[in-house]
Amino acid sequence: MFDFSWNMLTYFPPGISTYSESLDDLFRLVYWISAAIFVLVQIVLVTFIFKYRTRPGHKSIYYHGNNVVEFVWTLAPTVLFAGLGLYSDEMWKVMKYSSRVPSPDVEIDVVGQAFNWHVRYPGGDGILGKRHARYRTAQNLFGIDPTDIHGKDDIVLTGEFNLPINKNVVVHLSSVDVLHSYFLPNFRIKQDAVPGSWIDVWFNGTKSGKYELACAELCGSGHYAMRGVLNMQSDADFATWMDAKITAKKAILAAQVANPQPEVATPAPSSATPAGEHGSSH
Amino acid sequence: MAAVATTQHDHAHVATHDAAHAHDHAHHSVSFIRKYIFSTDHKTIAKQFLSTSMFFLLVGGAFALFIRWQLAYPGEPIPLVGKWLPDTLVSNGAVQPGFYTQLVTMHATIMIFFVIIPMATGAFANFCIPLMIGTDDMAMPTVNMVSFWLVPIAGLTIMSGFFVEGGTAAAGWTNYPPLSASGTGHTLWVIGVFLVGFSSILGGMNYLATTLNKRAKGMRMFDMPLTVWALFITSILQVLGTPVLASAVSLLFVDQVFHAGIFIPENLLTSTGGLFPNGANVGAGGGGQPVLFQHLFWFYSHPAVYIMILPIMGVVSDILATFARKAIFGYKAMVFALMAIAFLGFVVWGHHMFLSGMSPLLGTTFMLSTIVIAVPSSIKIFNWLGTIWKGNIHFATPNLNALGFISTFVCGGLSGIFMAIGPIDVYIHDTYFIVAHIHYVLFGGALFGIFAGVYYWYPKMFGKMYNETLGKFHFFLTFITFNLCFFPMHMIGVGGHMRRIHDPYVYEFLKPFQPINQFITIFAILMGFSQLILIFNLLWSLKFGRTAPRNPWRANSLEWAAPAHPGHGNFDRDITVYRGPYEFASPQSKRDYLPQWIRPAHVDAEQEATVVGKH
Repeated sequence: MFDFSWNMLTYFPPGISTYSESLDDLFRLVYWISAAIFVLVQIVLVTFIFKYRTRPGHKSIYYHGNNVVEFVWTLAPTVLFAGLGLYSDEMWKVMKYSSRVPSPDVEIDVVGQAFNWHVRYPGGDGILGKRHARYRTAQNLFGIDPTDIHGKDDIVLTGEFNLPINKNVVVHLSSVDVLHSYFLPNFRIKQDAVPGSWIDVWFNGTKSGKYELACAELCGSGHYAMRGVLNMQSDADFATWMDAKITAKKAILAAQVANPQPEVATPAPSSATPAGEHGSSH
Repeated sequence: MAAVATTQHDHAHVATHDAAHAHDHAHHSVSFIRKYIFSTDHKTIAKQFLSTSMFFLLVGGAFALFIRWQLAYPGEPIPLVGKWLPDTLVSNGAVQPGFYTQLVTMHATIMIFFVIIPMATGAFANFCIPLMIGTDDMAMPTVNMVSFWLVPIAGLTIMSGFFVEGGTAAAGWTNYPPLSASGTGHTLWVIGVFLVGFSSILGGMNYLATTLNKRAKGMRMFDMPLTVWALFITSILQVLGTPVLASAVSLLFVDQVFHAGIFIPENLLTSTGGLFPNGANVGAGGGGQPVLFQHLFWFYSHPAVYIMILPIMGVVSDILATFARKAIFGYKAMVFALMAIAFLGFVVWGHHMFLSGMSPLLGTTFMLSTIVIAVPSSIKIFNWLGTIWKGNIHFATPNLNALGFISTFVCGGLSGIFMAIGPIDVYIHDTYFIVAHIHYVLFGGALFGIFAGVYYWYPKMFGKMYNETLGKFHFFLTFITFNLCFFPMHMIGVGGHMRRIHDPYVYEFLKPFQPINQFITIFAILMGFSQLILIFNLLWSLKFGRTAPRNPWRANSLEWAAPAHPGHGNFDRDITVYRGPYEFASPQSKRDYLPQWIRPAHVDAEQEATVVGKH
């Protein structure tokens, strides 16, 4: 089931995002260039060690170097490595430049909280409600603005969540406590979740199935178990799943209107009465 | 012959000296405490740095083995020691998750701040600079003493974290807030790092002042051995970089103790769901920025990587030239490459932060500046190869370690290319690929170089020869186990294996890697225990080693002009420098070396006096 190999290229988890293959290609390119340099240098090193080993009658030469040689072996790596850098920049732009992010088909919020991932979908109205850190409490992790009507029907899930394949997904990423890092190995995606900032990550998954979401930034003793599951589904399956969630959320909202409960209502912004005391009782 | 006579006199002097001690301290000008504990002699301070670092090397190494055990056999009791550890750290002898995060934090903190930096600068700079530039001591001996004593104080401060509530620092050696912004252990870490940083600054100033002001008569900057050049340039990094680290940890301290909220954004939650204490929780926006800490931290800590490797590059250069009996290929190119690495080291810190959310445009900049560092590094590799080319290579233990350094440093340098490239770093960041890289650079690179230097200068440090057979045995065991331990980490890194995780097998995609983790652990254990050979060799040879000659390696630099076991003041003759440090196989001498201090008109006669075996 598991084959050991000294070739590290065989260890990639299956790539399933639109750019995972080009990223792997870039990795392979750098790998083969490095492997060639590595082998070449080791061969030269071992050859010299053998050929110029001390033995009776053998002498070293009196030689301090050669500027032409220095020039050549300065220029060659400069051209090679600067070229590699410039070449790689295109991939970086694809992944990171906001001007290159395709128009989103699905937008979600993700926050890390030691030691869980929480996801917010826009709900029935298709619009994520406004959010601000000042509204954040332990009950309202995303800091959803209680005055924004679009926030009422937003759906929040923890740990396991679904997304459609072949769609441009933009994740707005943040954290509510410490640094986390949103790592989807199969998508070749990793991005730190920084408290106080919202950072966009985009990807487009091409294959349905369950994929693991890991936390890659040390976030405390439970860091190792901060695992999530991303369920990639076909468009139709995702729509069915989403509709069920929306219907369930509508039922909860209707029940709240019929029978208002103060602790279920959206919490007040933190102010003189710190929500912290309230939250710490949980 | 004069030299021989003087040395014998020197020995006689040492003997009386010891007798005087045994008899009565008060009769002697230097008390025991001033001679061995609060000494201002640069050689004693170097040995203090060396022995302290060796001690911490064993502690940090033990921590690494605990980590490796847990990754290979999660939940199983640590052999031998597990049952002796308190229940706050282990359950049934197995590493608990909280203890695991403390272990990874303390392993790296100790190895970086208390082993590699004090060895590379503290031990080597102290020992080598005055001797290699032909002077009696550092420019500021008392400052030098303080710079050493800050290290054990800092070490104890950080280690005391194990005994406070909540345990020691557990946020990784990078100690990023907000995770590091609470807890007594983190505050102790901050204080300890501040102190050890202060030691580094004091040391760096001293090395700069000494190198600039105290060189022997006739010694121009370009007559200095590359070890001294490397230490000189490293000192500039220490003096310019470390204050920034001090500012980072000071600001963190203010956050921890006074809740200033410099790195803490508004309305941050604690693990219990409460609000993180923060002056900015006013509901009006604002608050601190955790990424600011990362910028300040890496502005120091990237140059710190070069603080750890540049001195070693110098040491390795000198050892290669001496044992290849050949001049350094491109001496000036080597100096300029060191300068280039040091300069570029200050403009690449952002490559540690490709995922921090900083502007992608800035990412492009850091990607290009980082990848350009490969150029001076390549120049150094090529020049080392050029140095042994057409040499007459002797395989004494220092040279084996130096050659081992080149071999592994090439690998560590090349794996660095991967993470210099932003998009690839996105995937391999915080995985075992990074762990493999840093160990190839800092263990395979720095530590092999340190071993090389320790063996090389051991005769001058202690007046005894180490045991060559044990030395070779130690090198080959370490070299083989090192590669079998760390190379497979690249592979599981490409597989996505995160670092700093207590139990990888929580993840389905990491379960297949357990056999590799076990393989790595077996060789980590073997490698760890191989170091006992080194410790044994160094201690045993102190008493039973063959008495060292003045210039056992037939080297050219000035430290070998000093008596075999130099006393306070170092030299028993006036030192004037007549040539560069790499006149091996020079046509001006019948021998294959021509030391810097030999007068041109007396080459043959004077060299006769310093010949190997006579002292």
